[in-house]
Amino acid sequence: MGELCQAEIAIIGAGPAGMAAAIRLAQAGIRPVVFDMGNAPGGQIYRQLNAPVIGETLSGTDYYRGRRLLRDFSRADIDYRPRSQVWWGQCESDGVSLGVVDSAGASRWHVHRLLLATGSMERSWPFPGWQLPGLMQAGAAQILFKEGGLVPEASPVLAGSGPLLYLLAWQYCRAGCAPQRILDTTPASRYRLPLRYLRGAWKGRHYLMKGSRMMLALKRAGVPIHHGVEALEATGRNRVERVHYYWRGHWHDQDTSLVLTHFGVVPEPQLGRAIGIPYDWHEGQQGFLPVRNASLQARDRVWIAGDGGGIGGALNAEREGRLAALSMLTVSANDVADRERERRRLEHRRATDLAVRPLLEAMFRLPSHWLSEQPDTTLVCRCESVSLGELRRAIEQGAVGPNQLKAFTRCGMGPCQGRECGESVTRLLSTVQARPPQEVGYYQVRPPVQALSLGELAAMATDA
Amino acid sequence: MQSDFLIIGGGVVGMAVAYGLVRAGQRVTVLDESDDAFRASRGNAGLTWVQGKGIGMPHYAELSLDASLSWPAFAAELEARTEIDIEHECRGGVDLCFDAPEAKARQRDYAELQSSSRHLAQHFRWEYLDRQALQTCLPGLGKSIHGGTWSPHDGHCNPLHLLRALHAACRSLGMEYHAGTPVLSLSPCLNGFRAATPDTEFHAERVIVAAGLGARTLAPMLGLTGTVRPVRGQMLVTERMPRVEQLPTPQLRQTATGGYLIGDTHEEVGFDKGVSLEVMSFLADRAVRIYPFLRQARLIRAWGALRIMTPDGAPLYEASSRYPGAYNLNCHSGISLAAFHANELARAIIDDRLEERWSAFSGARFDVPAHR
Amino acid sequence: MFQRIAESSVIDGVDIQLDGEIYHIPVTLSVAAAVLFIKGDEEYRRHVDGHARAPFCLMGCCHECLITIDGEPNRRGCLVSVAEGMSIERQLEGSQDDG
Ligand SMILES: Cc1cc2nc3c(=O)[nH]c(=O)nc-3n(C[C@H](O)[C@H](O)[C@H](O)COP(=O)(O)OP(=O)(O)OC[C@H]3O[C@@H](n4cnc5c(N)ncnc54)[C@H](O)[C@@H]3O)c2cc1C
Ligand SMILES: Cc1cc2nc3c(=O)[nH]c(=O)nc-3n(C[C@H](O)[C@H](O)[C@H](O)COP(=O)(O)OP(=O)(O)OC[C@H]3O[C@@H](n4cnc5c(N)ncnc54)[C@H](O)[C@@H]3O)c2cc1C
Ligand code: FES
Repeated sequence: MGELCQAEIAIIGAGPAGMAAAIRLAQAGIRPVVFDMGNAPGGQIYRQLNAPVIGETLSGTDYYRGRRLLRDFSRADIDYRPRSQVWWGQCESDGVSLGVVDSAGASRWHVHRLLLATGSMERSWPFPGWQLPGLMQAGAAQILFKEGGLVPEASPVLAGSGPLLYLLAWQYCRAGCAPQRILDTTPASRYRLPLRYLRGAWKGRHYLMKGSRMMLALKRAGVPIHHGVEALEATGRNRVERVHYYWRGHWHDQDTSLVLTHFGVVPEPQLGRAIGIPYDWHEGQQGFLPVRNASLQARDRVWIAGDGGGIGGALNAEREGRLAALSMLTVSANDVADRERERRRLEHRRATDLAVRPLLEAMFRLPSHWLSEQPDTTLVCRCESVSLGELRRAIEQGAVGPNQLKAFTRCGMGPCQGRECGESVTRLLSTVQARPPQEVGYYQVRPPVQALSLGELAAMATDA
Repeated sequence: MQSDFLIIGGGVVGMAVAYGLVRAGQRVTVLDESDDAFRASRGNAGLTWVQGKGIGMPHYAELSLDASLSWPAFAAELEARTEIDIEHECRGGVDLCFDAPEAKARQRDYAELQSSSRHLAQHFRWEYLDRQALQTCLPGLGKSIHGGTWSPHDGHCNPLHLLRALHAACRSLGMEYHAGTPVLSLSPCLNGFRAATPDTEFHAERVIVAAGLGARTLAPMLGLTGTVRPVRGQMLVTERMPRVEQLPTPQLRQTATGGYLIGDTHEEVGFDKGVSLEVMSFLADRAVRIYPFLRQARLIRAWGALRIMTPDGAPLYEASSRYPGAYNLNCHSGISLAAFHANELARAIIDDRLEERWSAFSGARFDVPAHR
Repeated sequence: MFQRIAESSVIDGVDIQLDGEIYHIPVTLSVAAAVLFIKGDEEYRRHVDGHARAPFCLMGCCHECLITIDGEPNRRGCLVSVAEGMSIERQLEGSQDDG
């Protein structure tokens, strides 16, 4: 069965959550193995910060804040494995087995305890033309910016909702390529919500001030911001040439060669689901979150920290990473009292920080009927090119839930493993069948969670 | 509305029979479980296969052969009705042999089968081909493969589209379908049968248990056989690859969309439909030995599904002698036999001549008097 | 369609081959980013449905960036960094099965 590698603790993901956990474990004398698919530590927010390409005036201060974490991570005694994709996992009575692929091939690991710190992904939000070249997620644009200092040659249109949209717009302004306009699907009235949630607003004043500073900067730069855009469509022959948007009771057109969209982020679901962790629908976050206890433990021997457990931002991810590490350590603790104090301090800060979330969630709440109001030709499954109309027809023909729908239409059967259409399908069934998303459920997730070749898998066979 | 038939189970067996019934004008209500139930019909290999069926039970081999012969017309009929392409293809198939003893045993089995049935001797065509000869029908075949038996009766289809087409056709013919409606108990009542579900009760003159593994609990309630057991099979599917005109094999086949579907494991693991690294890597290893060019192919998905296995592996078609009007249908080749289920089997049920017409497949063959 | 901003720090370059032609590219870029930088997004990849597709997420989720790297097809270009001497081929052949 190939070579069997062993470790006391494995961490999947080297973003703020995974790095913080690894550092804390190393401090306690444990050498965790950290698998991450990236080329360098940092995760989404601190991407490329190990050798930054853009300066602080362009990135904003949050980015450079991660340097301390990266430094501690590189100095600690950690078995860090970049370019390693975990494609399979299985809980066993004495630990967790993992399948890992890296440039040397596939290997099998057995670890006693596992921390999933696999972060989040941008939420897929279908509308006509969203599959065209020239339409990318805002996070992708940010990755180009962080990795190579790349910005669009022609000024783009930004569309969607949420802080990341404004962060990108602000960064582009700073870099001298201000967006043509921002099509914000959030109604203007929502930006007055803090006045009603004073308590949350006070606790989250830093977030809110950051947000309003950015909006102000954009207004100063003369970027038109349309709040309350209700529908979007991208058109063009082989790529985006134009974006249409429904705003204030009319359709409007805008010529553009690049549309960058953002509709919030959701926990990356595949690995957690594949190893059998239950996920529950969270109304506030409008997505499925893994079920965890107060110590961030999801099941025997498995913990989840960071945005993979629920969206809380980078600082929260870091705190959760440390909290998870402490919880994993208690099993063998001797300096319990110190750790207990550390734990309580972290929990307090975490709770204070997370208190702003309900407000942010309410502000940036997406219309849950969006998908069912799109035209039939809208693609829902990008990989298999399955349209909304085909899904509607299959539902009428007896597709009772996500898995039957997948079987009937191939929706979710492509290489992305249903990541890009999974929650859309849940939402659609929820609207059509008038059942809550929790009851509708989600695809059954099976390996491989990351791509591997038959040759790599075959090399793990017993008699190979 | 009182139905003529209640069918318990919306898998490919229940739906094929439902189709035969509604097509003949019967009023049918199908009760099914929810999306995440055990449903072999959603996890199988999609072969419409004759080879290897009924070794030691010629009746089953005859049934499989006849079912295969009626598949093309059945597929055409369903497609015409629903516009769903079932991707059925019957250009023949090959069951591979990995070494000489296997090849020898296979040929002996087939010869014996034919010597025990005139029907098979006349109509079952097959031929053993060595590796060299196989190259034309299996281009790209690896060097370590010994040979295989070829038969023109074997074919394949898209089993998911089959299930969908059956659902769509039945709907258009007036079937009533209730998902998320698990039947908790079945009992006879004044004018037929009663099925109790968590929220309500359903009534019909007659009832058909086509509940796959659910028959274990449901069938005995009406004096029917509930001795089926789960046998797991794990499957792998690759990314889309350029189409090669290879014939299907039970071990792997290329689907109409280009992915290679790999499988054929039989595991006694109870009610666990998961996958294991041991079996996945075994399947991958065997697949790249069969077609070395698959080495670079990326794995897209792996899954496990539970076969519904009778004690002797042959189908179970029985009518309750204690409660006339109650039937139990079970088999582990529900794709291959789909045409038969929709045609002859449904007819025999309508006429209430199931035991008479298909007595070889009655549950009576498992009767162990001591247990009665 | 993308350009480097003047303020970005100087980064080492590597020579890569894209569809047979040699380009000098900042070493921090992923293969997907490099192709976007050199060619734009119009001719990145042809999908099985016959239409043009281009990277969407750049973080390994969507599989829209599939590309041939050093002879190995269908790799996620956004997860692989460019390297000296690397050979990249776009998959513009289109659908393998429609027809
Ligand atoms: C595209 C994007 C851009 C963002 N940009 C910002 C920003 O600019 N500012 C901000 O404040 N917040 C940003 N966020 C939110 C930010 O990601 C989180 O607040 C923070 O990074 C969460 O940290 P984390 O450790 O939970 O996960 P992440 O930072 O996402 O780290 C998860 C890591 O796990 C790895 N991984 C996942 N699955 C596997 C696997 N199967 N095998 C191996 N490795 C795996 C990933 O490659 C990744 O490196 C962004 C989010 C996204 C999705
Ligand atoms: C890995 C694998 C590969 C296979 N390959 C092939 C092949 O290539 N060719 C072939 O011909 N066959 C193949 N088979 C076998 C084939 O899949 C089955 O014979 C067929 O699917 C059985 O259909 P079914 O309707 O009896 O059972 P199922 O599909 O299991 O359906 C039973 C239905 O009954 C419902 N049900 C159960 N209990 C209750 C209850 N109490 N109340 C209401 N509803 C209930 C279930 O929800 C389900 O929908 C394969 C099977 C497996 C597992
Ligand atoms: S661009 Fe989404 S996976 Fe590469």
